[in-house]
Amino acid sequence: MQENYLAKWLSGELSEQELREFETSEGYASFQKLKEASSGLQAPDFDADQALLRFKEEHMAKAPKVISLNPFKKFMRVAAVIAVLLAGSYFYINSLNEKVTTGFAERSEVILPDNSELFLNADSRISYSKKNWDNQRNIELDGEAFFKVAKGKKFTVSTEQGTVIVLGTQFNVENREGIFEVTCYEGLVSVTHKGKEIKLPAGNSYVVINGKQTTGTPKGTQPSWMNNESTFESIPLKFVFAELERQFNVKVTTENINTDLLFTGSFNNTDLNMALKSISTPSQTRYKVEGDNVLFYAGNTPQ
Amino acid sequence: MSNVCEDHIFSEVFKAHSKTVFNYIFYKFGNEEKAHDAVQEAFVKLWENCAKVSPEKAKSFVYTVANNLYLNVIKSEKVRLKHADSLVRDRTNESPEFLMEEKEYQKKLDDALNALPENQRTTFLLNRVDGKKYAEIAEMEGVSVKAIEKRMHLALKSLREHIDGI
Repeated sequence: MQENYLAKWLSGELSEQELREFETSEGYASFQKLKEASSGLQAPDFDADQALLRFKEEHMAKAPKVISLNPFKKFMRVAAVIAVLLAGSYFYINSLNEKVTTGFAERSEVILPDNSELFLNADSRISYSKKNWDNQRNIELDGEAFFKVAKGKKFTVSTEQGTVIVLGTQFNVENREGIFEVTCYEGLVSVTHKGKEIKLPAGNSYVVINGKQTTGTPKGTQPSWMNNESTFESIPLKFVFAELERQFNVKVTTENINTDLLFTGSFNNTDLNMALKSISTPSQTRYKVEGDNVLFYAGNTPQ
Repeated sequence: MSNVCEDHIFSEVFKAHSKTVFNYIFYKFGNEEKAHDAVQEAFVKLWENCAKVSPEKAKSFVYTVANNLYLNVIKSEKVRLKHADSLVRDRTNESPEFLMEEKEYQKKLDDALNALPENQRTTFLLNRVDGKKYAEIAEMEGVSVKAIEKRMHLALKSLREHIDGI
């Protein structure tokens, strides 16, 4: 009998001789019965039409599948873009410099990341990088500020007119149009102006007015504006008027006055009337106040 | 060129093969619910890949997917089949004893079928119930015709031994 003859018998592939031999074999009746009984077996009911209907409802509903899958994909795409933008702007904002600005008649105190203190006079701006502060203590200044620098690495104040580098000290930097002044109150600062570097020991001022460099000696241990006073030593009147404008948020106009005349003196930063008197008396001028406007004009007689 | 992505072709393929996919999974695991799911899953895969699968390949594609679906995942349950009562109906004059014997035989057959290894049972039932030729079953299972004949032979042998109590 050939290999797998039972399978061959079921599929009717036995030769006549083999079939006769099989029919006389011992188990034939049993196999015959098995053949009959198994042909009557039935699998559970399965309705192909209904299954197809279910399939179409669940998987082919409405539109082609590509579109039915799309909303989620689209959502993911949008979500990814938003995530990238958020992450990007987070890093961008983080890398932006910190900025502090004061307006007219305003002052501000800033504590830097290393606890260095910075006092910002009226109408001034500083910016620095909070993130890089540990590596680089660098401040960009436009205006006037007084620094109390904590000991540590090089501390740099960059201005349009010059750079001031210190290690830990107290000093004032004024960087206004036409005037650049650095006054050292403690320690030693290095001032670079137009490529020239000078060391400025405590108790000295380095002043450049309209390109002309002079030196001075400050009074006190901190700039007078810290005590609400603006002090001038041989400073052209126009800078005095400019400071007055900044401290009181007024507009100064002049009539028949030589604003290049040097002025030595000070004025109070809180009382406009006192300040006006403090300027007009030594400069032998008169003034008129109209709202926010102040007019200085040449006086005939000294007051 | 005809494409399975076309609705009517897909429906034709579905109607032609879903029943066999259902039975195939049912014979393997004896779980009707899983068999229904297998049909849906297999045809979802076909639908998703309709551009890549030609109508001729669709048949073996769905069997392969269905087969892989529950690989080692579900435990086989008892395969419960219905027995046609044609035998009985044909011979209404049979004695109650004969009917009793028939019932007993059917029970023995059920037990014997469940005692078979899964691949022998599947082969045997696809042939006996669904009338699939050995070559077709070989294609579905991805083995040679000879291997299917071997399974069939062994299935018959074990069934008979089980039923006759040898």
